[in-house]
Amino acid sequence: MSNLIKLDVCGLEPPEPMERVLDALSTLAAEDRLCMLIDREPRPLYPILERNNFGYETKARVDYLFEILIWHKQ
Amino acid sequence: MQRKLSFEHTPPLSIPLRFFLTAPLFGVLAGLLLLWYGPQALTGRWSPLTLALTHLLTLGLLTMSMTGALIQLLQVVVGIEVPRVRLTAAIVHGALLLGTCALTSGFLFSAAILLQLALVFLPVALLWLLGACLIGMWRVKADNVTFAAMRLALVALCLTAGLGAVTTSALMGLVALPLVQLTNLHVAWGLLGWVGLLVIGVAYQVVPMFLVTQVYPLPVTRYLAKCLFGILIFWSALNLLPSVMWHSLSSVLSVLVVAALAIFAAVTMGLLWQRKRRVPDSSILFWYLSMGSLLAGCAIWLVGTVRPELAEMPSFALVLGVLFIVGFGYSVINGMLYKIVPFLIWYHLQSRLTDIGMKAPNIRKIIPEHAAGRQFYAHLFVLFLMVPAAIFPDQLARLAGAMFVASSLWLWINLLRALMFYRAALIK
Repeated sequence: MSNLIKLDVCGLEPPEPMERVLDALSTLAAEDRLCMLIDREPRPLYPILERNNFGYETKARVDYLFEILIWHKQ
Repeated sequence: MQRKLSFEHTPPLSIPLRFFLTAPLFGVLAGLLLLWYGPQALTGRWSPLTLALTHLLTLGLLTMSMTGALIQLLQVVVGIEVPRVRLTAAIVHGALLLGTCALTSGFLFSAAILLQLALVFLPVALLWLLGACLIGMWRVKADNVTFAAMRLALVALCLTAGLGAVTTSALMGLVALPLVQLTNLHVAWGLLGWVGLLVIGVAYQVVPMFLVTQVYPLPVTRYLAKCLFGILIFWSALNLLPSVMWHSLSSVLSVLVVAALAIFAAVTMGLLWQRKRRVPDSSILFWYLSMGSLLAGCAIWLVGTVRPELAEMPSFALVLGVLFIVGFGYSVINGMLYKIVPFLIWYHLQSRLTDIGMKAPNIRKIIPEHAAGRQFYAHLFVLFLMVPAAIFPDQLARLAGAMFVASSLWLWINLLRALMFYRAALIK
């Protein structure tokens, strides 16, 4: 069964959001997904995700926060 | 915990750092010039020594560091890769360095050959930068307020450089043009357009991100930079018209420019004041000082608009120049260097260490807060000396120069230590 793991990194100063998401991804099980909530679009993260075979989807919310859904590509 | 994710291929750290490590050295040179020549360097905006001092600061210090930040932030914030980034950085950095040295020494020694050299190197640097950025921007469609302001700032830089080249040619007697109007336009586009618009655009991104504030209000991010740019265009057009009847309209536009800058400064100070995280951070102090100087500069400018006899005094333009260049520009850049440089070093360290499954050290160790905090007070003291030195140069110019050398050198040492930290961490 797949789990949705939530990670809220709003209000954290760089590089803490990056550190937290990288730590979370290091232990993300193959079938799980990570939903990261952040107050800006994390552009430097995208190439890292692509290079490490993760899929992702970014959603800009009306409250100016961004939701990034990340999963392992099969 | 080990990190297993490999990082993207990033441009070498040396690309932004060469700009950031060169900029404070121009601050040291500016301080040395003030220390050596004393009150002569602050006699008025038309003095060759004052012109040399001003351009050491605006080109060597501000434009040098802003170019490094622009190349880096275009990639991080908007996802734009500057084409042939290594070659671009080498050419822009080298030509800007040589051009600034040639221009300032040309002013200093009244040497036409050096000014002519500057008219070669500086256009190469600025046109190459502009071309590389435009190619990168052309390739990416981005809907981003920082990106929009950066584009306007680059146009302003282009106008500043063009006006500067024409003004220098007029100074050398190569062309016969109205020198005062040209210089006013050059200064306005340089300080308000290039420096002002870029700081505004970068602030929309870095103030909420690095200083952990709320985001800027939507009307500010959407309209402020465009309004400032539009007003500057109208103001420039009116200043080129000979008719006296336009001058009152020109004063109205000056007030609007002041209003736009004051809104930016007040909103930024409000955001900083309301931040929830109350940890000691010298970058916040630099931002407060920068915005406070901008507000003070705006107030003095308004006084000059209402009472033109004051604006005619030589010290008036000097005080305004000190507040805009040292107070507003240098403070904000000094503060941001303490955020951007540690972040870049952390990012590159993490990128290198990830391959062997290690974590980068804590970012706060790269430039310790106490080192940055002490340098802030040195910089504050510089400003407290520079403003009165513009009015009483005989008494204070040399002391301000000595303090300027000390503060800029201190900044440079702090940045160099950060680089040494990077090298030491890699060796470990």
